[in-house]
Amino acid sequence: MRPAPPLLVLLPALMLVPLLLALPGLLHGGGWELIVEFAAAALTPSLDPLVLRSLLSGLAVTVAMALLGWGTSLFAGLLLGLASSRTLWRTLLGHEFPAQLIRRLLALPRAIHELLWGLLLLQVLGLQPAVAVLAIAIPYGALVARVVSDLLDALPTANLEALRAGGAPAPAALLTALGPPLLPGVLSYGGYRLECALRSATLLGVFGLGGLGTELKLTLQSLEFHELWSGLWLLAVMVLLESVVGLLRRRWAMPRRLALHQPGVGRRGREMVLALAALLPLMALVGQASGVDLQALTRWQPLPGLGSDHWQEVLDLPWLQLVGGTLLLTALAAGLAVGLAPLQLLLTAPWPWARRLVGFSWMLARLWPPPLTLLLLLFVFRPSLFTAALALGLHNLGILGRLLREGLQDQDPSAQQALLAAGSGPRLALLYGGMSGVARSYLAYGAYRSDVMLRETVVVGLAGAVGLGSQMLESLSSFAWDQLAALVLVYALLTLAGEDLSDRLRRRLLATA
Amino acid sequence: MTIRLKTMAVLAGLSLLLTPLLAPTRNPVVARAAAAESPTTAKVLRIGAIPDQKPEKLNRLYPLVAAELSRQLGVTVKYVPVVDYTAAVSAFRTGDLDLVWFGGLTGVQARLQKPGSRVLAQRDIDVAFHSIFIANTGSGIRPFSQQKDLAQLKGKRFSFGSESSTSGRLMPQYFLAQAGVKLSDFAGGAPGFSGSHDATIALVQSGAYDAGVVNEQVWRTSLHDGKANRAKVVAIWKSPGYQDYHWIAQGDLDQRFGKGFTLKLQNAILSWRPSDPQQKQILGLFGAQQFTAADAAAYAKIEHVGRQIGKIR
Repeated sequence: MRPAPPLLVLLPALMLVPLLLALPGLLHGGGWELIVEFAAAALTPSLDPLVLRSLLSGLAVTVAMALLGWGTSLFAGLLLGLASSRTLWRTLLGHEFPAQLIRRLLALPRAIHELLWGLLLLQVLGLQPAVAVLAIAIPYGALVARVVSDLLDALPTANLEALRAGGAPAPAALLTALGPPLLPGVLSYGGYRLECALRSATLLGVFGLGGLGTELKLTLQSLEFHELWSGLWLLAVMVLLESVVGLLRRRWAMPRRLALHQPGVGRRGREMVLALAALLPLMALVGQASGVDLQALTRWQPLPGLGSDHWQEVLDLPWLQLVGGTLLLTALAAGLAVGLAPLQLLLTAPWPWARRLVGFSWMLARLWPPPLTLLLLLFVFRPSLFTAALALGLHNLGILGRLLREGLQDQDPSAQQALLAAGSGPRLALLYGGMSGVARSYLAYGAYRSDVMLRETVVVGLAGAVGLGSQMLESLSSFAWDQLAALVLVYALLTLAGEDLSDRLRRRLLATA
Repeated sequence: MTIRLKTMAVLAGLSLLLTPLLAPTRNPVVARAAAAESPTTAKVLRIGAIPDQKPEKLNRLYPLVAAELSRQLGVTVKYVPVVDYTAAVSAFRTGDLDLVWFGGLTGVQARLQKPGSRVLAQRDIDVAFHSIFIANTGSGIRPFSQQKDLAQLKGKRFSFGSESSTSGRLMPQYFLAQAGVKLSDFAGGAPGFSGSHDATIALVQSGAYDAGVVNEQVWRTSLHDGKANRAKVVAIWKSPGYQDYHWIAQGDLDQRFGKGFTLKLQNAILSWRPSDPQQKQILGLFGAQQFTAADAAAYAKIEHVGRQIGKIR
């Protein structure tokens, strides 16, 4: 039995049921007073020049880290992506195995969340601005590499074969046949990564790597809500970035992430290349201004000695519970994020103002780092797996919701208009006319996002006793390197398995479209 | 070149020109890196502290300490803030901090990770420091005098301070264990970690947690300032005394700052008295009358408990 597309979109919402059942029981309501105080402070953020100045300099640090990390990852990712492309090696050498090897090697840096990279690098490199940059660049670079090589290998090779058959040398043929069609996809994905980098840089700050995130964490922890809101409103600068990236995407006719097939090769190629070229000097300048010292990366500090007889303790960790908790947390958060977005759009379909409100709430959810949301939730909910899932799910809801809305806007509106004209209600028209069209690509993206959420479970680890993430933070504060190594390894294995699963799911969803 | 392309090129150039404005001006991490690079400022004594209280208080206190030490020693002293206890230990190990105000546990962790480092001083109150268990008045928990009554906390929402806090986690967990309370006995299967003593008080007062545990000095200060509302949050039990906070310095200060510098530094800290207005302010913020010499051996008990609980390995 295959569910009809409109049903398909609503299916993940089933995961909301256990969440809705569990949450009332977890509500202790002790801190309503604080929540009210927090909400009231939204309209009266602190305008103290001292606070604003320190927040602004924090924002500058965060933006600089994000830009540097993103730029580095883009360049490294492009090179590594080319190096792990099957088409490329086949054309150059006639074998595919180097591509396979590099792909496998890149799986490990990709499987570890940037927060973990940050915390681990902090241990060996010390308090260096370069740590945050590197923490973003390593996993992002590996992710970009994967996307680039996937895009490259998915391109039709007819042009390439024609050029080769015509006697063109391999490098020239590759560049001519595959370069132009690759560029829009890479830039579109690159633009999206910049948004992610800004979110990551903020998150790294929450865990002490400096910038706006640090300020937000400290103000929330000391319950200075007015100052917290000054910082939260500053985060809205990300909305500006989102719209700039969107503008460039439309101008250069680059595909949307939810688009199923890529339209042509994009426009204004020279502009794109020029913009890309301006990036290098820009990065050098930002790097110099924010004191990123590449030499610092060579000064490794030895880790303190490790006892030899602790491996039994490592084995004694409650592994089953840790892994189970992590998986359940991911499933709940993914169900919430993927399932709630279409539901919210359907419910608010008749009222434009309500829809705008939903869009606004998505924006806030996207902007706020999940650990901060979690700290707020803990004012009224008991610490538990469900509470952590709520924080993680809400953040991703903001990301998925925007994507769904964009996908719907890009769609041919005729089906929906026809249904409306025939007298069906706005909700039904949206469900059958709008959502059934984007259902598969939305779910395919949801599958990819679930994989991201699995990686992100570490950031809500501070909810206490929730999966591998919380154990990892505890081991880190005990400087238990052996435990940490084992946990990172298990985590990496888990995310690699998750990635494989989400890939299969995605391919199946897209293949039957 | 089309006009549009020219505009684009001009915009790219402008953006390049404007990038330096993005430069962070007051980033401590950056300032530190810059200081390490420049040979003329190589002799900067970088001091730090575990962030056990509100940042605003730390930002008031430690610049004062830096100024006072700078005046007494004649070297540049710079305060480098860190956001959590673990980061303070790591920064000391990686040599990013020269002198740090550590808690009992973090101090032992730091000394084990950086052999040769020196315990310089502790406060008069650190010889027998106490933890105060506190509870929300609406939680139904009443003050008690027997340690075994800690068992009442089973099934309650309970928050420690930082994971690596001595008075807000390590010793309380030890006393709880003696009374038969395991961490999994709390509501939700685990305690919370608020991050700092001030945060614990605020969270328990709000009712977000039924109970928590904080260090005695912060609790007294909060009561005194009126930050803690006695109608909403009360002390329920005071723990036995143990050794806590202390100043720890890197072992190589004599080589870097000149012979006898470590001793000069120690004597400077020990010389602070309430009779000097500047020093009075510092001591007031530390909640102490004066600093006394401290001995690494005094922290053996903390190390023992730390190993038992698994925070030291």
